[in-house]
Amino acid sequence: MTNYDAQEVARIHQELRERLPRDPASRVEALEKILTEKGLVDPQSIDAWVEAYQDHIGPKRGASVVARAWSDVGFKQRLMADAPAAIDELGYLGRATGHLKVVENTTTVHNLVVCTLCSCYPFSILGMAPAWYKVAAYRSRAVRDPRGVLEEFGVEISNDIEVRVWDSTAELRYLVLPQRPDGTEHFDEDALASLVTRNSMIGTDRDLKVTALGED
Amino acid sequence: MDGAHDLGGQQGFGPIEVDSVSEPFNEEWEGREWGIAQCALTPDITIDWWRYCRELILPEDYLTRPYLDSWAQTDFATYIEAGWISLEEVDHRGSLIGVDEPLDLPCITSVEDILKDERNHAVRYHKVVESQPLFSEGQNIVTNKEGVSGHTRLPRYARGIKGAINAYHGAHVFPDLSAQGKTTHQHLYSVVFACADLWPETHNSKDKVFLDLWESYLTEA
Repeated sequence: MTNYDAQEVARIHQELRERLPRDPASRVEALEKILTEKGLVDPQSIDAWVEAYQDHIGPKRGASVVARAWSDVGFKQRLMADAPAAIDELGYLGRATGHLKVVENTTTVHNLVVCTLCSCYPFSILGMAPAWYKVAAYRSRAVRDPRGVLEEFGVEISNDIEVRVWDSTAELRYLVLPQRPDGTEHFDEDALASLVTRNSMIGTDRDLKVTALGED
Repeated sequence: MDGAHDLGGQQGFGPIEVDSVSEPFNEEWEGREWGIAQCALTPDITIDWWRYCRELILPEDYLTRPYLDSWAQTDFATYIEAGWISLEEVDHRGSLIGVDEPLDLPCITSVEDILKDERNHAVRYHKVVESQPLFSEGQNIVTNKEGVSGHTRLPRYARGIKGAINAYHGAHVFPDLSAQGKTTHQHLYSVVFACADLWPETHNSKDKVFLDLWESYLTEA
């Protein structure tokens, strides 16, 4: 039974330092072995979870949400008003998206998402978070020097654009709706979705490029 | 708690490795840990207790070890604290004794099951409560100046700062108490801060930072 004893957990962390191997692979192997032998986890379930996030649940889902919002005004309205219900229409409601909120980029606004306290991320529409999203360099600076962070990603934001940083401090998760690029009026949803980068839905990318793929 | 995890605004971490490979699992162990975290949890755990236990990782480890490795460390700690596994079993790298009452594990063994079941995992943390929210949209507030020694979701950089209510989200599970195993609901707001009020070097900036903050973190300005 969980005792919610923080002092005890601090002591356990110290003990684990001595008792666990230093390389992550061996640590996770030990965890899986103990939990499996105790009947607390089924390795086949783990296999399935790996496959689900390797092959099925990833940023392509977010991209198709964006493409739908660009091409269907009614969907966009529903998405901005109640994002969980809107993504449920596409079958994407799930882990960490029960309180999803969509924030829209415009000619005068750029949105950037971070979680300074842990690394909260809308798993069921964007999949696993990229490595940079989870490290101290991004988490510390996104709220203090967002323009400097964006520059490192090759994104220049002119001074007449307001940057809005969303720090995910509660169970709300944020998805940036990037601007639809010019010259895509005749694109269908699949072609539009192929233009949407994962980073543009977190806010570390802004002007989407119209690629040959999109024009096919 | 005033821990190493509270990173907003800290300086000196250097440039971001923007092209770091991570798609979606860099190494096999990362996938295994992700899977463990999805299908094995102590039955009485709360997400906030788990987050608190991650915050309690020694700072030198928290700041230098890979992200999903810190999940594994947190899983070990929560299982051991709850008595499901022992430190001796960690040394042994295996079970020394079964559990008294094995968990009734959900029989998810296929991707199809996961995809079908996924929408049931869109956990909702809000609830209709009788009390009326104290603040309304556009109202000026100031955040608490003092920190708390346990788990909390008011970051250090946003303490004692003037802001305004951007939106009301309803009453959500209050993390400070949820990390102690107590589920209560409290009004939650989107609060907007001017970068110029947060950071000394950005006084000319019109940029903004939005945080989702519970009512007891705020007072009327």
